[in-house]
Amino acid sequence: MATGRYTSDLETGDVLGPVEFTLSPFVVREYCHGNEMHHPWFQDTDRPMVPPTMVHLQKLRLYTHACPAGTGPDARVHVEFDATCHDVVRAGEKLRATGRVAQRYVKRERTYVQVEIDLRAVEGDRPLITYRDTVIVAYKPGKVEA
Amino acid sequence: MDDPRLEIGTELRALPRRMTRERMRWYVDLLPTVEADDGRVHQAEPTIHDDDEFAKSQGLPGIIADGMISTNWILSLLMDAFGEDALRPGALSTRYIAPVFEDVVLTVAARVTSLENGTGGALRYGLDVWCEDAEGRKLTVGKASIQATGSAAARARAPRFTISA
Repeated sequence: MATGRYTSDLETGDVLGPVEFTLSPFVVREYCHGNEMHHPWFQDTDRPMVPPTMVHLQKLRLYTHACPAGTGPDARVHVEFDATCHDVVRAGEKLRATGRVAQRYVKRERTYVQVEIDLRAVEGDRPLITYRDTVIVAYKPGKVEA
Repeated sequence: MDDPRLEIGTELRALPRRMTRERMRWYVDLLPTVEADDGRVHQAEPTIHDDDEFAKSQGLPGIIADGMISTNWILSLLMDAFGEDALRPGALSTRYIAPVFEDVVLTVAARVTSLENGTGGALRYGLDVWCEDAEGRKLTVGKASIQATGSAAARARAPRFTISA
């Protein structure tokens, strides 16, 4: 269900998802290759481990689901990544991501949005990663809220 | 036998890397590629990470790297030191305190801040992590917690290639 037109419309308490998906070995290897992580547990196995940093892209998946018009005219700037890994994630595993806007606040004339994401294995509802993501919704000055 | 522990205060440093335009674009194109997950590489819409004019229209002097590249380079150093244990239960947080502009040379580093016995004979490391530029100015800072089952000290000394006559 859409919660806003743009991701910058998100308000405290908005719930994003849940969305269910799998990450194929292809995207895990591409992601690790693109970040120059050429470790054998990503590149030389049929069922690679998923780096916990990939949870950040599940925020974008939730954004697509919740805010159909996308980012909007102003570029977001990522300011903080904070992930706790509860269990190993592997490619091919059916996953469920749920997001919640924990805070929307103004600091030093910029608007921040903090989203908490819970990533679980669908089988057994097993917790995998808890992630808190903080962004500035518009880098450009003059976009601040009252 | 060598002590497998890294003592508190031990610093790990990766080789410096230049944040080129190409490295920024590799990350940008991962976003639609991972979301589509159809076996093909997709190209992203213009962003502040790969399009000069768009970045300037947003009030930036030029393109800046996505912060997740720094986070992934930090994770890479932790995997070099602790192997797959860096992907097992633990924590990693990073804060992007200054933008990384094109061609800035970044060095990733980690310093052991705590060490305690974990479960099953493992060691629980706490680390400060960061990325600094060529002048030593920190651009990204954070913390990591890793439960290590092997010898990080031995891994750090392990050659990355073999030679045979």
